[in-house]
Amino acid sequence: MRWRPGGRVRFFAALVLSGFLLAQSMAARAADAPDIPIGAVFPLTGNGSEVGLDAKAALETEAEIINTPHPPIPMLLGAGGGLPHLGGAKVRLIFADSQNDPQKARAEAERLITQEHVVAIIGSYTSATAATISQVADRYEIPYISSDNSSPSLSARGLKWFFRTSPHDVMFTQAMFDFFDWIGKKTGRPPKSLALIYEDSIFGADSSRVQKEMAAAAHLPIVADIRYRANSPSLSAEAERLRAAHADVLMPSSYTNDAILLMRAMHELGYQPPAIMAQDAGFVQKAFLDAVGPLAEGVMSRSAFALDAVAARPAIPAVNQRYRARSGKDLNDLTGRELTALQVLADAIDRAGSTDHEKLRAALRATDIDGKQTIMPWQGVRFDETGQNVEATPVIQQVIGGAYVTVFPPEVATHAPLWHVGE
Amino acid sequence: MSAADLAQVAASGLLIGLLYALIAAGLSLIFGLMDVVNFAHGELLMLAMYATFLLNRAAGLDPLLATPLIALFLFALGLVLYRGLMARALTVTVNRGMVQIFITFGLAIFLRGAAQFAFGAEFRSIPKSWLANESARLGPVILPWPQLAAGLIAFLAFLLLFLVLRSEFGRALEATREDREAVALIGIDRERIFALGFGLGTGAVGIAGAALAAFYYISPDVGANFALIAYVTVALGGFGSLAGALLAGILIGEVEAFTAFLLTPSLKQLGMFALYVAVLALRPQGLFGARQ
Repeated sequence: MRWRPGGRVRFFAALVLSGFLLAQSMAARAADAPDIPIGAVFPLTGNGSEVGLDAKAALETEAEIINTPHPPIPMLLGAGGGLPHLGGAKVRLIFADSQNDPQKARAEAERLITQEHVVAIIGSYTSATAATISQVADRYEIPYISSDNSSPSLSARGLKWFFRTSPHDVMFTQAMFDFFDWIGKKTGRPPKSLALIYEDSIFGADSSRVQKEMAAAAHLPIVADIRYRANSPSLSAEAERLRAAHADVLMPSSYTNDAILLMRAMHELGYQPPAIMAQDAGFVQKAFLDAVGPLAEGVMSRSAFALDAVAARPAIPAVNQRYRARSGKDLNDLTGRELTALQVLADAIDRAGSTDHEKLRAALRATDIDGKQTIMPWQGVRFDETGQNVEATPVIQQVIGGAYVTVFPPEVATHAPLWHVGE
Repeated sequence: MSAADLAQVAASGLLIGLLYALIAAGLSLIFGLMDVVNFAHGELLMLAMYATFLLNRAAGLDPLLATPLIALFLFALGLVLYRGLMARALTVTVNRGMVQIFITFGLAIFLRGAAQFAFGAEFRSIPKSWLANESARLGPVILPWPQLAAGLIAFLAFLLLFLVLRSEFGRALEATREDREAVALIGIDRERIFALGFGLGTGAVGIAGAALAAFYYISPDVGANFALIAYVTVALGGFGSLAGALLAGILIGEVEAFTAFLLTPSLKQLGMFALYVAVLALRPQGLFGARQ
């Protein structure tokens, strides 16, 4: 092949560029040598990347709190300056991009373990990617810390190296029924009927299945059970059915677009359910609150995190300020959980006093953290034999004055709930 | 289930059906004229919705007032698209059908990607408009003003389209449709007629987008929700028939609303497609289509 005039220039440009990249990665390696490598698999590009990039900022915030010297933050490992039992060793995060694809997630997890020699992996937003990552981790006997995967089946597969700090869907739904029970006793006006509306997807099916089981256990009749087609041009007929059913509490499971459409369709029919208890998702998005404005007032949803529970969790302002400096956003239900997952893992590594995988697993098993030592409104962190944190008690939040505030459980609530059932 | 419930469902079906009809009218017009199925029709609807949103945000213009401006904008965009893309696609001699499909399909993907790049993936909506959250009452039936206005606008747009098609230009359009080659002999500029016809079709979808933006959420993928229904509407009403599009749109709106109310909402497209299959079996040219 003959040299073309531009070819040589391009060849040298490529050489210089790759040399630059190599130098950069070597510099990064040299500086971080004595640290404890922890893998993090999230969708960093493509579908779900907005969530993944927020997760990255949350984990980096917590790593910074653990590693660097700073004024003490009132929570576990909030003093800074590294892990005390490991001579001030620092945690080093190595991020991998799952592209929200279970197969890519599997490959990236394998790479992190075999080539980066991470001591544990944190992930991963969607339950589908968690399923593959946790299998790989189990095979290599490396702990997988599930920070935000909510499918109950993940902890029911008998994996020995699976630890979930976050609540799962059954626990979330249980919190809704606990709230119904509590508010009924408190006000003397318990809900007497429920209406379910959910999209025709795995999310809607799972969410409604658990809700039906718990409604049956609580002897609450379901007067409307509506499975609707997601992304429909109109939800008027669905809203009309809800109006005709007259339930005390409407329990929707929808993503943002349908949540907007449903609230508007009900309003247009002049129908306002006495109470709405949403399964997170679309109903907690900023786009939803912006779009429906005052119609959202009084809508309730479950959450794993309560940004406003500052009195009960005094570390929140300092942590949130650091997170906001990185991301420009406030901590939310997902980022709060992701940040806490790293805190729990770092605590276990510190107590193990070693990065040996068996010692680390024993330390994780022995985890017993008081909720007050975290930013989460949970009772605490303690894993059962399946690796599920049984003290991750979710909260119920309600839109009061245009923003979500915490109304249940009373220990962390900041506002009294608006409750119009039975009035 | 009372008579009032049924009347309410019928009214909701009629209002959304009028919008389906207007969206389908543009598609039908283009197909009838140049035998091209425009796969980017839903994306043009999406663009019209974003344009309405941006006009509202930048100048505080109410969607109602923005409607004629958006119609003009989409009309102009239609002219540009015709001159830049469609005219070329129509002159190829090899595999013409495939080229036309790929050109409009590619345009759809491009527009969707461009919208996501420019506006992000999040759902937008117009925060305030004159009619937002207002409803009219007709006995027991509640008619939300934004939808009512959209339905009326759609109806007026149809009247306008009928008038246009009855004018001198409409006759030229009809003649061009009948015989593309012969019209050249009597001094009609085929390219000009095609460009104007394409613009008319995109203008119609512009009106629908502006009316829809007043009460619907806006996202890069929003067109897909309506595009499928538009294709069914066109086939049901008869390719190229304006009256057919009007009737079929209303019919689909009603069938969809009643399937969702009486059967189960997850099956709401079942009624619509069952009707479509039945019409195809009994009257393949569609309700108002001309026999080939």
